[in-house]
Amino acid sequence: MRRYLQTPGPIGEYSGLPLWQRAAPLDLIYVGYGLLVVAVVAASYLLGAFGWLPDDPQAMNVGLINAAPFTTGHLLGTDFLGRDLQARLILGIQAYFLPGLLAIAISVLGGSVLGVMAGYLGGGFETIITYFDNLVDSFPRLVLILLVIAAFKPDIYYVMVVVGITGMPVIANLIAGKIAFLRQKSFIEAAHALGLPAHTVILKHILWFNCRALLVIQATLGMAEAILVETSLSYLGFGVQEPTPSWGNMVQAGANYFLQGNFWPSTAPALAILATILGFQLLGDGLNNVLEGRRRR
Amino acid sequence: MDAPVLSGVEGPLLTIENLRTYFYSRAKRAFIRSVDGVSLSLARGETLGIVGESGSGKTVTALSAAGLVSAAPGVIGGSVELHSNGTRRKLLDGLDRYVRVKEHDGRVAEVEKDERGWRRHAETLMKGVRGKEIAMIFQNPRSALNPYSTIGNQLVETIRLHTSLRGGREAKECAIHWLERVRIDSPRLRFDNFPFGMSGGMCQRAMIAMALCAEPSLLIADEPTTGLDATIQSRIVELLAQLKAETGIATLLISHDISVIQRLSDRVAVMYGGTVVETGCATELLAPEAKLRHPYTAALLASIPSAETIRRKSYLQAIEGEVLDTIEVPRGCRFYGRCSRVTEAVRERCAGLEPPLAEVAPGHKLRCWLYPSAPSGAMHETRT
Repeated sequence: MRRYLQTPGPIGEYSGLPLWQRAAPLDLIYVGYGLLVVAVVAASYLLGAFGWLPDDPQAMNVGLINAAPFTTGHLLGTDFLGRDLQARLILGIQAYFLPGLLAIAISVLGGSVLGVMAGYLGGGFETIITYFDNLVDSFPRLVLILLVIAAFKPDIYYVMVVVGITGMPVIANLIAGKIAFLRQKSFIEAAHALGLPAHTVILKHILWFNCRALLVIQATLGMAEAILVETSLSYLGFGVQEPTPSWGNMVQAGANYFLQGNFWPSTAPALAILATILGFQLLGDGLNNVLEGRRRR
Repeated sequence: MDAPVLSGVEGPLLTIENLRTYFYSRAKRAFIRSVDGVSLSLARGETLGIVGESGSGKTVTALSAAGLVSAAPGVIGGSVELHSNGTRRKLLDGLDRYVRVKEHDGRVAEVEKDERGWRRHAETLMKGVRGKEIAMIFQNPRSALNPYSTIGNQLVETIRLHTSLRGGREAKECAIHWLERVRIDSPRLRFDNFPFGMSGGMCQRAMIAMALCAEPSLLIADEPTTGLDATIQSRIVELLAQLKAETGIATLLISHDISVIQRLSDRVAVMYGGTVVETGCATELLAPEAKLRHPYTAALLASIPSAETIRRKSYLQAIEGEVLDTIEVPRGCRFYGRCSRVTEAVRERCAGLEPPLAEVAPGHKLRCWLYPSAPSGAMHETRT
């Protein structure tokens, strides 16, 4: 049975309804879970940054290696050197949190600039961005990152700069497409006719009013991407190096004991990766549906 | 000047002289002569209606006057003068140094334009003019508003930009006052509406409020009723007439709807193929029994379905042929190929030489070899 309810208040006040009442329940679940993950990650980052950890992440306890979860003193168990997994998982967030933000900042800022140039100025810039996009698409990203590591040094910030730059064309394309769409509607021309200066039109009317949802969505998806790249590289041994914990090198370290029955030390960080990336992806998807009105009821 | 008595002592508000706006077709390696030597003048408080088929250069003329042509090469010559609030502004002053036009055999063959220099200089000339002195309203009003911002915010932004009101509360009161003036019911409620929550007519009213809130001296209305349904059209036309009576704003009204032109205009300019073919007082020029008339105007008026043709279900009167392709402009009269009134006496001249815009009666000019200019005040203007 479905209920159809007329919202009280003046008719045509559709926009007066709060966002969460307009959204589909499934999207709210996505966004809710995503926000929960963001909150947990941010809180854990702060815990790690201030050193408020449940245990010393570097303290080895050779008598208690590969302990199961819920061992006294070690809520999530220990790894092959007897180090506390919970503390290391929390500290592992340091490996991608700030670098990921850097990657997002680079791709959002650069992508916006390129997108505005392509969409608003058009002409040659559009061609440049198309070629840039093709170049990025045609080259395996991981190979590019490994090249950068080989050329400079295995520093996560170098890697994230590459991730940010390679993320630029996607955002640039989306913004250029949005501007092309807005150009069909004549309001950009109308804004010029009203005498609004070009920077107001670009920053306020195009980027802020029409692209902010898109940028937030891309930023969350970009964080998921950054985590994936960081953990992959650390797993391969090119990212964060032992003894500094990262979820990627924790999976790698635990993998040696996986087939001996001690699957926990590698499964815990793997689950953390899964839950976190899923959270950011679902947050992006849910926001896309809610803010951009993709899922109409 | 052919401006009627409405003009004040200071002369016309807007004078456009020999304006040329060309575009370039890369595929055909040829110029599209959208506006090709248009001269118009508009007196204070006057409404000048520009009629013509699609593609006759009406909109491009208006956009050129407001400095809003973005495609290349755009405006390449002529002058636009705006005389308002006691200052005389030449909106294309000194811009000719950025353009080099080479003519061959009497027509433009090559244009070199420093687009960036032109744009930069033009923007300094347009500073404080666009939006403040010259305001524009467009067709399809719903798409002319930012879809993600409330109409109140957009109106407040324009008010803050162009008037001395800076405070949020004052600007909001002013915005509500303007929404009232354009007859939007319950303006306080509408203030927080988004464009998609309002009807097309309501959006056009908001757009008009936005254009008029800076109290400009010239309003360019580019097909303001296109994209609205018939009942709303007549209400918007009524609103424009009322606002014109209240504010005394001069209007450049572009439309292909002759009934709209008839209702609002004091004078009419008929455009064809990028030039003005006839200008004159609206009541005389559009009167059904008028004798002096350009063949194109006559054909345009004949194509309006009358009550008689609708009752008899007879065929509508269409103008034979297609709108002039402004790439291949003929040597002679631009309307020659479609004209049904060419006589043997003038055929040679029609085909070979473009007729001048000659004054056939006081205040009434037309561009046709059938009507020799009146002996007094004849202008020997032969375009090259």
